[in-house]
Amino acid sequence: MTAAPPEQGTGGPAAVVPMALPVPSVDAAPASQPSPWPHRHLLDLDVVSWPEIELVMRTAEAMKEVLARPIARVPALRGTGVTILFYEASTRTRVSFEVAAKNLSADVVNIAAASSSVSKGESLVDTIRTVEALGARMIVIRHATSGAANLAAEHFSGSVLNGGDGWHAHPSQALLDLFTLRERLPGGSLHGRKVVILGDVLHSRVARSNIWSLTAAGADLWLCGPATLLRGFERWAASSADVPGHGRFQVTSDIGRALRDADVIMALRLQRERMAAGLLPSVREYAARYGLNLERLGLARPDALVMHPGPMNEGVEIAPEVADHPRSVITDQVTNGVAVRMALLYLLAGAAANDD
Amino acid sequence: MTEVASELGLLVRELEISRAWLVDPCADREGPGEIVVRDGRLEAVTWLDEADGAGIEPDGVIVVPGFIDLHAHFREPGFEDAETVASGLAAAAHGGFTTVCAMANTDPPIDDASVLGRVQSAAAASGSPVELLAYGALTAGRRGDSLAALGELSDAGAIGFSDDGAPIRSPSILRNGLLYAGMLGRLVVDHAEDPALTDGAEANEGLVATVLGLRGWPAAAEAGPVGRGLAILADVLRDEPRARLHFTHLSTGAALELVRAAKAAGLPVTCDVTPHHLALTDTWIAGARDWAWQAEIDPWLGTVQDADPFDSTLRVNPPLRDRADAQACLAGLLDGTADAVATDHAPHTRVDKAVEFGLAANGISGIETAIGILLAAVDAGKLPLRRAIGALTAGPAGILAAGGWAGTRGLVEGAPANLVVIDRSDTWRVDAGSLRSKGKNSPLLGRELPGRVLLTVAGGRLAYEA
Repeated sequence: MTAAPPEQGTGGPAAVVPMALPVPSVDAAPASQPSPWPHRHLLDLDVVSWPEIELVMRTAEAMKEVLARPIARVPALRGTGVTILFYEASTRTRVSFEVAAKNLSADVVNIAAASSSVSKGESLVDTIRTVEALGARMIVIRHATSGAANLAAEHFSGSVLNGGDGWHAHPSQALLDLFTLRERLPGGSLHGRKVVILGDVLHSRVARSNIWSLTAAGADLWLCGPATLLRGFERWAASSADVPGHGRFQVTSDIGRALRDADVIMALRLQRERMAAGLLPSVREYAARYGLNLERLGLARPDALVMHPGPMNEGVEIAPEVADHPRSVITDQVTNGVAVRMALLYLLAGAAANDD
Repeated sequence: MTEVASELGLLVRELEISRAWLVDPCADREGPGEIVVRDGRLEAVTWLDEADGAGIEPDGVIVVPGFIDLHAHFREPGFEDAETVASGLAAAAHGGFTTVCAMANTDPPIDDASVLGRVQSAAAASGSPVELLAYGALTAGRRGDSLAALGELSDAGAIGFSDDGAPIRSPSILRNGLLYAGMLGRLVVDHAEDPALTDGAEANEGLVATVLGLRGWPAAAEAGPVGRGLAILADVLRDEPRARLHFTHLSTGAALELVRAAKAAGLPVTCDVTPHHLALTDTWIAGARDWAWQAEIDPWLGTVQDADPFDSTLRVNPPLRDRADAQACLAGLLDGTADAVATDHAPHTRVDKAVEFGLAANGISGIETAIGILLAAVDAGKLPLRRAIGALTAGPAGILAAGGWAGTRGLVEGAPANLVVIDRSDTWRVDAGSLRSKGKNSPLLGRELPGRVLLTVAGGRLAYEA
């Protein structure tokens, strides 16, 4: 359960949390952390509290400082086997994790496992056990099936970091989004800021994980897209609408209403198979009605930030002029991804070390 | 209780149970009483009057007719690593069942008399006294294109016809099958699912599926084919008044409401619900494991997560629904819309379940936990004891009788004894060791269930003894 967002205060959420978790010295071994990260795995953000999210943010700040050094490398994970096990094609996330692990001096093994290994008879559980027998202490997994990271965690004695499972969760992406926003928003706080997640919410693990973190941060969160790509989310919004201290958000298909006075717009990738599945009439109609173009950006606040988790379909969910706009923080997201993933690997290694 | 003085499979020479609570839904009666079994026959059923029966309560030892399961998968032939007829019958006896109807989705499927004969031989060879009935497939190879050998299967003893597990896509095949089976005096058992709405579906379309990112399985995928089936049944009845349609494992309020209305209009339709659909909900997949009749919880607001999310033992077809649907299943049972509780016992190997949630085989190993789940509902005050027992006895017996079955119904003096003795004051722990089924795929593993089966007598012979 995500902890309650702070109700007020400009000093950021930490101001009302009685005891913020102390930030580790990232040059030291993870096991020496002053306040150990309590989760052996990171599968989704629903069980991560706000103070823990803040700890990730502050640790990532320290990592960003490491990245600014002439030699961007600390020995924190020296000798630790990290296996990056990707069942789905990905460049950005895989490389980001690989760079993050190498910056921490981990021993990195990359496995690009075709999903067809399932049909060849090698089960995920088999693979996890094999990877463990080969010395991995941490696994970063990407898989097309929701819950795959949970299954991996059940069968692995080390730490599992979910690099995206099906439509379910992509916690490192949500945390790097949060990090980027805190860095770029005046005052460094999401509290009361109108954030719009725009597009194919139904199929998006990025949207789902961001719901937990952005509502925990106190954002005024809106989900917007055509009704066929929002199916079920009205119910989710309703279930948390009247609960004090629980993240609440709004759902609408009215893009004008969603974007008006927005502080942040996060466009989501639209995959072409949504047309074949009968969810949308055409790419053209989608781009015309829900594509983020300059005219629509004009509805938002003048200083609104534009995000995209990538990879982009420019001209579909986002116009090229918007993607390259001065208010676009899309490349910041990529840079910050490495720092946030270094922080996560570091904190999880500490949790595992203290478990042993 | 006197010693049974028999071994498993052998005739029960002498058994006297004095001062127990008898429940016989077939006679619509319950109360303090005594029974005597001699040489396998139920020699005497004595109902005690108020004075003699004083102190005998329904929360102690109860004696009830043997249970009848309209829907079980025994996996033989073809999938003997998941279950065999012998292990399935042992599990059935442990669950209090004395008659079980096995589904036809074996490999090869029971779509001709030779496969049916093989299943019947396996039952005979097992030595179990539990009566094994079997459905024949409705269509050849369960492919839905053409009718299976219905007449030959009927002659060989098929109790009815079902393509369970494979939805009947063609309304025309369903129509012809109902007509032909009606001519033979046999039931058609329909697994109501519109595959166009469930392609790739993983969990009930609702809050849990949305939050966990599981592909939604809409209620309309069940209500649609139920509506279609009822329209076809009404049509077929004009030509064949003996046509009978039974919907198995209904899981939604919408489908049950259609059946309720059809029954009120006089259509010869029946249906069953499963223990898991009335007691478990999709919130179990999120890790919050309360019975459906307990207070509503949002698994993401609760303070306790009972289990990790995505437990593949909870993947089942139809999927576990939300609380409203589970309550509708219970309400349907209470008002008689649902005639029976059937287990849809679906054993699977560990290998078939130790995979990603969406890739796991559908099904719950449930024939041994059915009575415990129903008794939990009884204990919670949500289900009268007599109705719970009736849903496992009088209800399914009536449906089978309409399909030509001539077994004993209830505690009938002079008939071969079919009975179960249950200690309601005791509980038992569901775990891999206590389950007789080869399928350990139960979401109830580790849980204590109320009501321990002490004894099951089937056809006058000892089927299970604690």
